[in-house]
Amino acid sequence: MTTTTRIDAPLKVTGRARYGSDHNLPGMLHGYVVTSTIANGEIVAMDVAAAQAAPGVVAVWSPFDPLTLRTPSTPILGDTWVPLQDRSVTHHGQPVAFVVAETYEQARDASALVEVTYDERPARTSLADNLDLAEEAPPGLDGEPSTQVVLADGVESIDDALAGSPVVVEGRYSTPTQNHAAMEPHSAVAHWDADGLTVYSGNQGAFVQQADLAAALDVDPSAVHTVNPFVGGAFGGKGRTSVPAFLAAAASRALGRPVKAALSREQVFTATANRPETLQEITLGADRDGTLIGVRHDSWCSADTDRSFVEPTSAASRVAYRTPNLAVSQKVVPLHIPRTTFMRAPGEAPGSFALESAMDELAVALDMDPIELRLRNGSLGPAGSDLQWSSKYLDDCYRIGAERFGWSRRTPTGTRDGDWLVGMGTATAVFPALRFPTTTEITLRADDTALVSVGGSDPGTGLLTVMALLGAEALDVGTERITPRLGLSAYPPGGMSGGSTATASVGSAIVAAASAVLEELQSLASAPGAPFAGQDVTYADGRVLGGGRSMTFGELLSALGRDAISAVGSSGPGEELTKHSFSSFGAQFCEVRVHRWTGEARVSRMLGVFDAGRIVNDQAARSQLRGGMIWGVSAALHEGLEIEGDGRLANGDLAGYLLPVNADIPEVDVHFVQHPDTLHNPVGARGIGEIGVVGMAAAVANAVYNATGVRVRHTPITIEDLLDGLPE
Amino acid sequence: MQSFELTAPTSVDDAVAGAGTYLAGGTTLVDLMKLDVLTPRHVQDINALPLRGIDTADGLRLGALERMSDVARHPGVYPVISGALLQSASQQLRNMASIGGNLMQRSRCSYFRDVTTACNRRDPGSGCPARSGANRMHAVLGTSEACVATHPSDVAVALVALDGQITLASAAGTRMVALRDFYRLPGDTPHVENDLRPGELITEIVVPRLDWAVNSTYVKVRDRQSYEFALCSAAVALDVRDAHVVDARVAVGGVATVPWRLTAVETALRGAPVTEDAFQDAAALAADGAEPLSANGFKVALLRRTVVRALCELTQDEPTGSRG
Ligand SMILES: Cc1cc2nc3c(=O)[nH]c(=O)nc-3n(C[C@H](O)[C@H](O)[C@H](O)COP(=O)(O)OP(=O)(O)OC[C@H]3O[C@@H](n4cnc5c(N)ncnc54)[C@H](O)[C@@H]3O)c2cc1C
Repeated sequence: MTTTTRIDAPLKVTGRARYGSDHNLPGMLHGYVVTSTIANGEIVAMDVAAAQAAPGVVAVWSPFDPLTLRTPSTPILGDTWVPLQDRSVTHHGQPVAFVVAETYEQARDASALVEVTYDERPARTSLADNLDLAEEAPPGLDGEPSTQVVLADGVESIDDALAGSPVVVEGRYSTPTQNHAAMEPHSAVAHWDADGLTVYSGNQGAFVQQADLAAALDVDPSAVHTVNPFVGGAFGGKGRTSVPAFLAAAASRALGRPVKAALSREQVFTATANRPETLQEITLGADRDGTLIGVRHDSWCSADTDRSFVEPTSAASRVAYRTPNLAVSQKVVPLHIPRTTFMRAPGEAPGSFALESAMDELAVALDMDPIELRLRNGSLGPAGSDLQWSSKYLDDCYRIGAERFGWSRRTPTGTRDGDWLVGMGTATAVFPALRFPTTTEITLRADDTALVSVGGSDPGTGLLTVMALLGAEALDVGTERITPRLGLSAYPPGGMSGGSTATASVGSAIVAAASAVLEELQSLASAPGAPFAGQDVTYADGRVLGGGRSMTFGELLSALGRDAISAVGSSGPGEELTKHSFSSFGAQFCEVRVHRWTGEARVSRMLGVFDAGRIVNDQAARSQLRGGMIWGVSAALHEGLEIEGDGRLANGDLAGYLLPVNADIPEVDVHFVQHPDTLHNPVGARGIGEIGVVGMAAAVANAVYNATGVRVRHTPITIEDLLDGLPE
Repeated sequence: MQSFELTAPTSVDDAVAGAGTYLAGGTTLVDLMKLDVLTPRHVQDINALPLRGIDTADGLRLGALERMSDVARHPGVYPVISGALLQSASQQLRNMASIGGNLMQRSRCSYFRDVTTACNRRDPGSGCPARSGANRMHAVLGTSEACVATHPSDVAVALVALDGQITLASAAGTRMVALRDFYRLPGDTPHVENDLRPGELITEIVVPRLDWAVNSTYVKVRDRQSYEFALCSAAVALDVRDAHVVDARVAVGGVATVPWRLTAVETALRGAPVTEDAFQDAAALAADGAEPLSANGFKVALLRRTVVRALCELTQDEPTGSRG
């Protein structure tokens, strides 16, 4: 295992990394987005005269005078909504106009002068109040139907299986709408020249943004150049191309000048997309020894009126535990709320809150240690599939974790430390190991360095450094000789940041590209007239060897009069999918303290032990897991968007939308059990971007229960949930 | 934000004659200007005024422009005051924000801060969406039909507990007002937040000498450990002799429309033994008259519990178990 400081860290901490909106171009204009103040209705009229006449204003666009944009569609993300194309308003804070002026302040001031007249209709914004509108969710991205029933031989229904179970627990869980709240707000700088369009904008994959913009603007993808070498956090919220990118690109085309557009922090909450709210009902039936007999998991999630995304929470129950009888269903409730989309561990994060809380409730009902219960029911593969896990060391995670955490000191009713009630909780984390088709290019240069390039992104994940490490490994040279390059649509497509896939996808493609470029190098070396003409050559340690001599690849290229040679390599999911199922696993632990008088719950210790295949860069990997676990604490105790009856967000800014601060987060301990999973991909890495958040909220809730005896089945858990249950 | 004129008077006389909105640390004012909640045409930067100094010789005298961070770390300041300051905002904000500006900070109600909604405090007569809307953070004491917003300042709660006063300067001269009388209940006129007259400037904060207030504390209960306003807070000072309470000062924040002194609790504490039971009995009076809203009913119990906790922490020889 290697530990390497991120190679882009010095640039970032000294402010030299140029993010999308750090680009300032000569003659650049500034755009400001105007958003709706109703959640459902039609725009009847828009008076933009005052805005147009305001100082510095160059243009005002609205649905009455729109910038033409088409709806892009991609296989992974489906349709992406584009603004200003019609007069209907489907949520509060929807972009309805775009004001472009010479300065940002002028654009913002003028935007306040835009008068919108609405024909307002009542809004539906509450998930709980609108369950009668629930629709069956479409199949998931993996093609699995959203409703699935698996029954043991002779069992008629899940109800029968549960009715026949000696011990049954049942619960209704809920999780709120969440916003990614990435540090960098969605923003873009766009300009057109003879080569077409260039857009600087943080995104999860330059090639995705290129495809979206080309489709939206109806131009050939080759005429669209997207640039996002640095991304200030994404977490799923920058998968789809953003409203500022579409508007800046279209406005720049119309005006013939560069245009910059950025959302305000408040607008990020409404004009991008959020994690849906969920409601989940779980019933678990077990034998007295804890063996599961039946699992039922029914889920509802909120969605915008276009149903742009489903939060597949019931899917969590397909993979975590072995059960002879399983029934899961997934419904979606369209509401007048901001758009919904992927957020770190979509499905698994809120789904595991419900399932892992329910498992804790079952352990209590059985009077059994929660770890023992989980180990007893470990899954061999997904429910209803014959394909077993390629590699699974969850038991080790629990064993090592229990030891490291001091789990043996836990009592069923917690402990006391002065005025603090102290509890411990645990939960299982599961996240699928996936890969996307990816192409990378490797260029060997005459100065003995190499470029490794892919169009994906590193939104803080550490992919850039991973590329240097894996590139060095594949070329058998030192890391300092590799220049990894990301974030230009000019580079080959792949390495999108999403689904915890980037290391496995890019790493596999690097292996392929390296073998292609080294093959070419060797054939050039032994070609007629070349230094090793007619000889058998091999390659090792950055050198071509043959006939008892060796040359570095740089020396060889120089001798051949070549500056560089390049090759691309591609890799993607294939045959392995017919042989095994693939997943990462982990065991989450936490200790929570609840004040006996005032009920604040504070996490005092955390540990996650993860089985995620090979860990390529220990330091960055730990940061990834820590970040995920901290987000789990945030979900458990702080975060949640409150959408009012009229669709307004009650806390749509960083004053009201609480995230933990440093004082809320103790030392976070992360440990890896390392078993490279080469059945999944040649690098053996399974992906770590999302699993850290999975299960953590439940571990906190379970610790709160252990400390106080109060079971809270929603997040965030706040003081009012605990006060009544505290001792006087 | 609308355009404005910026001037920088160098004397109190010039400032009070200047008829512009005062800018101290700007951490409230600039925020609200960006949100278009405040739209002053003329802003007077008062940072050059000679309103400095922390004097602990006889009680406490604070120049209005002293920064929260400087006051908090001054050794002679009563613990309840430094505790309230250190649990306010963040270090960066405390380094900017003045103690005078703190007392004048505006409501954190999300409707007050959002000009697309109604708010009687911002736009008199427009209505109060918080009464039926998102009101978990709002007040249970001192509310009216027109407004239910809490007063957000922490240090004001501590100052009210210690009978703090402020000196106000205007073209007509100076006057002193007890901070407790300075803040107005919302009633029908929530936009009138205090007794400050047009052009008046806070020049000094004065806390009368109270030697036993060295035994004082500020307990703040909130949704995260730092950088968040109070769900409930208690400023408590106790004079304890022979395991009995001789005198007490108790005020609470986060639950009322103004910093809220609990004189009935103080009376109940006088003469009471230092026991958890006696504290609970006294604290039982803390929420008298509370009128909870749809989402803040928990504040009634929390208020009593916070007072008990503060009393217990102040009388425990060894502080217990709370981590760091
Ligand atoms: C993110 C955030 C978190 C916060 N958290 C807390 C918290 O937990 N607890 C807490 O108590 N506070 C908190 N605050 C509020 C903060 O303490 C106040 O904003 C600050 O104290 C105001 O002081 P200032 O000098 O910046 O005032 P300014 O913003 O300059 O002025 C505020 C108001 O006071 C007026 N004013 C200023 N000085 C005088 C004077 N001498 N005489 C008359 N009028 C004057 C101004 O005209 C203006 O109306 C928080 C603020 C922020 C932004």
